[in-house]
Amino acid sequence: MTSLMPLTTVFPGLVWLMAALALVQGLRRAALWRVGAAAPVAWLDGLVKLPKRYLVDVHHVVARDPYASRMHAVVAGGLLAASILTALAILPPIAGFRPYWFVVALAFGVTAVGSLLVGARRYPAKQKRLSAGRFQILPFLLVAYAVGGTATALLLAFGIGGVFAPLALALAAAGGLGLAFEVRHGPMRHAAAGALHLVAHPRPGRFEGRPDTALQPLDLDAPRLGSEMPADFTWNRLLSYDACVSCGRCEIACPAFAAGQPLNPKRLIQDLVAGLSPAEPAYAGNPYPGGRPAQGERGALAGLIGPDARIHPDTLWSCTTCRACVEECPMMIEHVDAVVSLRRHQTLERGALPEKAVGPVTELRQSGDPGGRPLSARTDFAAGVDLPVMADRQQAEVLLWLGEGAYDLRYGRSLRALIRLLREAGVDFAVLGAEERDTGDLARRLGDEATFQALARENIATLQNYRFERIVTADPHALHALRNEYPAMGGRYTVIHHTAFLLELIRAGKLNPVRLPDLSVTYHDPCYLARYNGETEAPRAVLDAIGVSRSEMARSGKRAMCCGGGGGAPVSDIPGERRIPDIRMAQAAETGAGIVAVACPSCTAMLEGVTGRTSEIRDIAELLLQAVEAGR
Amino acid sequence: MTIVVLLSAGRHPVSGAPVLPRMEAQAIRIAASLGEAVGLHAGPDAEAVREALGLGLTRIEHIALPEGLDPVPALSARLAALAPDLVLAGRRSQGGAESGVVPYALAEALDLLLIPDVVAVSGGADTLTLDQSLGRGALRRVSVRGPVLATVHPDAAAPHAYAFGKARRGAVELVGAAATGVDVPQAIVEERPYRRRPKLVKGAPTGGSAAERLKAATGEGGSAAKGRLLVEPDPEEAAREILAHLRQIGVLAGPTKSNS
Amino acid sequence: MTRPRRDPRAERASIQVAGEARPRFDRTARRTGSGRPRRDPRAERAGQRVAAEARPRYDLSQTVRFDAAVITEAQPKAAAAASPKILVLDDPAFLVAVVPDAPGGRLSSHDRQVLGAARALAGREGGVAILTLGACEGVGPAGADRWLPLDAVEGYDPATQAARVAAALTALAPRHILFPESLDGGDLARRVAVRMGEPLFTNAEVVAANGLVRPAKGRRVEQRIAPGLLSTVAPDAVAEYGGPPREARPLPVEAEAPTQGSKRIVSAARVPADPATVPLALAEFVASAGNGITDLDTFRQVVAALRATPGASRVLCDAGLMPRHTQVGASGTVLAATCYFALGISGAPQHLQGVAGCEHVVAVNTDLHAAMIERAGLAIVQDAQAVMPALLKLLVQEAQGTGDETA
Repeated sequence: MTSLMPLTTVFPGLVWLMAALALVQGLRRAALWRVGAAAPVAWLDGLVKLPKRYLVDVHHVVARDPYASRMHAVVAGGLLAASILTALAILPPIAGFRPYWFVVALAFGVTAVGSLLVGARRYPAKQKRLSAGRFQILPFLLVAYAVGGTATALLLAFGIGGVFAPLALALAAAGGLGLAFEVRHGPMRHAAAGALHLVAHPRPGRFEGRPDTALQPLDLDAPRLGSEMPADFTWNRLLSYDACVSCGRCEIACPAFAAGQPLNPKRLIQDLVAGLSPAEPAYAGNPYPGGRPAQGERGALAGLIGPDARIHPDTLWSCTTCRACVEECPMMIEHVDAVVSLRRHQTLERGALPEKAVGPVTELRQSGDPGGRPLSARTDFAAGVDLPVMADRQQAEVLLWLGEGAYDLRYGRSLRALIRLLREAGVDFAVLGAEERDTGDLARRLGDEATFQALARENIATLQNYRFERIVTADPHALHALRNEYPAMGGRYTVIHHTAFLLELIRAGKLNPVRLPDLSVTYHDPCYLARYNGETEAPRAVLDAIGVSRSEMARSGKRAMCCGGGGGAPVSDIPGERRIPDIRMAQAAETGAGIVAVACPSCTAMLEGVTGRTSEIRDIAELLLQAVEAGR
Repeated sequence: MTIVVLLSAGRHPVSGAPVLPRMEAQAIRIAASLGEAVGLHAGPDAEAVREALGLGLTRIEHIALPEGLDPVPALSARLAALAPDLVLAGRRSQGGAESGVVPYALAEALDLLLIPDVVAVSGGADTLTLDQSLGRGALRRVSVRGPVLATVHPDAAAPHAYAFGKARRGAVELVGAAATGVDVPQAIVEERPYRRRPKLVKGAPTGGSAAERLKAATGEGGSAAKGRLLVEPDPEEAAREILAHLRQIGVLAGPTKSNS
Repeated sequence: MTRPRRDPRAERASIQVAGEARPRFDRTARRTGSGRPRRDPRAERAGQRVAAEARPRYDLSQTVRFDAAVITEAQPKAAAAASPKILVLDDPAFLVAVVPDAPGGRLSSHDRQVLGAARALAGREGGVAILTLGACEGVGPAGADRWLPLDAVEGYDPATQAARVAAALTALAPRHILFPESLDGGDLARRVAVRMGEPLFTNAEVVAANGLVRPAKGRRVEQRIAPGLLSTVAPDAVAEYGGPPREARPLPVEAEAPTQGSKRIVSAARVPADPATVPLALAEFVASAGNGITDLDTFRQVVAALRATPGASRVLCDAGLMPRHTQVGASGTVLAATCYFALGISGAPQHLQGVAGCEHVVAVNTDLHAAMIERAGLAIVQDAQAVMPALLKLLVQEAQGTGDETA
């Protein structure tokens, strides 16, 4: 072989061949993405920002598992460096420069070390959250390529030929071509799809440091609503699912998976991947709890959801839309968008809502409240409390948005505490009273975009009649809808959560709480405040201002676990082995705190509903009121 | 089999928004389980009944009828033309007078067999089996021959969810206007906001002072009952008390009734 | 507010001793006329006096017992037994007809309420006529002056039945006709209305000579109308007749009875509700197990022996010990039962929402401070595990005991 062509040409040639093979395999896969719907993509902007997105945003997530971070840095960095350096050696001047090959050998050596780190995660026994399947051969391919490459480079560096060279080269070729071949269906697809996904991400706002979490409005005049089959997703969504590395971080974070409900976000994404092509190898990770073998047709035009299709409807309705999976995903995949898109088709086109959710959604559509209660009863919780109504005042500094929690007996206590605090601080506020409708959050998460848009239009029309500077709400779900989702419907408001507003009042000296060091408190972050809006500090600052002894749960802040109350999950009520709020309360109990502080009506209701709990559930407003009143 | 579901313009009991009455939505579900059905509505406009398209009907026939006119002549004329095997209606309308007389008037006009308060229908064009609610889950299973008009009871299966996409695709066809008609007899002299009246309490004296009736009410039952409390009784005594109490309420048959 | 206004004239007329030239009144009848014995403050006071003490001392808690006794005595049957005097109305100025359901030949409480309403419409001069299909007991004490027993229709044939009733009513020509707004009564009323071509005022919640009132437009408004020919009366809205028994003089039926014509109903059979399988939302009597129950086999036996419908708290359903469809509460089934029997259920707020519509609650729980104990009409602070076998034993004993007596 060397007699026909020098090793210095064959070795770089191998890398070029690998690149070509990878390109062919990648293009074969990419052809499938093209069945997806069109999507606007800022290509140039994405390409320019790719390094930053990878090195900052992706790294930020990957680094939560330090071993994985180091492993990936070494193996990916080494692989890229070694391959590029070798490829450059196709130029004769470089190829002839022997010290250059030392550098190449070093790069391959680093890759080899990384390959061993990759292997250590999977052998002798793989970590539980990882998928097996083709990923199990990845360490061998990497080791073959890296060791073969190291040996070849060293032979070139020392100028030794002979029988060793073909052997080393063959090893490198086996590993390298194997890796390149795997770009279509195997582990190396993540590299190609992942990089392209970072360029063409459907939510570029995520990388600009602001939470880009609003669901995208659906055109209700579109010929087909929501996603029924893979072809209904936009092409860059299909691409994003191909980026999945099956690392299983999402399944660890998923509250429904922990509760034994039939949802596993990794499996869901892999089902979307597998649904695209019959050639996709079998899934080899943890199944949906309550296991159900994958069945149904595959292909771009095959239905994805159904009792006999790949994804059972219960899987879809188990999701609490808490975004924990999205927060944990190192590949920046948007699981919740996929779930909502699939739900939209089920609800809007097929009327296939889960049985128990039909009532609330119907009432929401017909009467503007999921319980079918009169809108005027929303202020019943404040009987005996002077509650200014916008219709009488026409304007106020602060519009207090009460939300659905106002109907709840328990949550009425929290709202009364908040109202007393606002009075104490002399805030000029008013409520909409009987004019306030549900924000439509529940309908939207359950896929009923038509009802959401109708409610949003009505609320926006109501809000247009009054003058106010800001909307304050104690309901993070309402906050998210008003702040992030109403702008697309034409309503732009400054919306602030009550914890942030109370902190402002404390800092301005309008509220003077005393310190309550005897209370031991742990704060449970609401998903729609922490993850959807990135607000984790204000509630904690309020708690610190009243001097309680505060402890943190193992999962807190943006990585907190859901209470199970979002995304319509309580009304869908898909049975599992455990209940999500029970799990969360057990986590709270581990801190030993006597009080679990909450800042959301859904969390209050879900956590209050835990039987046999030892700690009290108190809204931050209730705790602050206690501190303020103690100071009088 | 030709199935017609009679649709009316209802109002939501709380919000007053125009909606399809729930029992008609349930009727659509029953109809959908038997075959293709067509909706029939007589009224000024079909906006409120359009909702039925999202619940399983694909076609609604609309007879334009000015407000306040009796819909029975127009409906019976159209029904006579359609000659359906099964006509389904809600047992009461929703949001109007809620007297539920229209199905009876139609059955009389068309000499149709009327089976009221149906919760389920099965069978084919020849013989239909209708399950009629007798309250509290008890049923009367009625087999009938020939065309039948059935009114649907609220205990029927809950309506299917509304599908916006289906509603978008369905069609409302204007099938003629009844320009002339008979006015609905208007004998109502007075209408005012509803005042909730206390329900009679069983076992309370019919006359008696307010205080006595209150005492009877709170002593016997009601959500604000101040009940009897036995702390740590003997289990046998507790059992006797429970059985005596259940018999007093009337949910448990007396011991002498068995084995006679 | 539901009590009909007192009509002193009518009361006086009702105690007039019949068949005498000079008006004479039997004032002793007055007591039963108002349905309750008159209070005797002196006697009550004397009853409260603690015996064997020189200085008078009174146990004021005794009052409660006295009142309770009054209530239990005020059953209509007891009143009927006490005064056998039958009121006779010879020549009524007009008739108010009532067509009751009378299931099984007995007036239901709803039927009696309709008779009470008819009595209110009849006033002093009018008479109440009752039309029954087949035999019926106790129509006189319930307030009927006249009685038309029609022949019952064989099998289920509501159209023929309505034709018969309509023919008889046309012949009788009453001023008003009242039906109960029940499943059967409401059906019959509408059939009769379209047959007679008369408007029907349905679901009246107030029945008085000066007007009938019914809810309309989803209970957002009420409509008032002067009493017309045909009306139906809502359940539990009008008081039963509480006066002395009336004559219930049989009237000959002059109308010819239409024969059964339609053969369109092939068959009709009653399917009684099986308490074990009836949907929880429709069940009359629900016995429910909670966290305090560990022995679910015994629980199932108790439920079967009580002929109740089984329910469960969320915890048991989550644990898979009871099927999901038995779950009672906001996230399970919201009940409309007459009685809810809670065994070992403390009563979480979501659970209590599910039983809010139950008329009676019986609770057995170890925790005195449980919300369910608070809610219950009969609350027993005891281990439900211990009470269940005792209940079973007692029920078995009763069954055997009565078996011996009748044997």
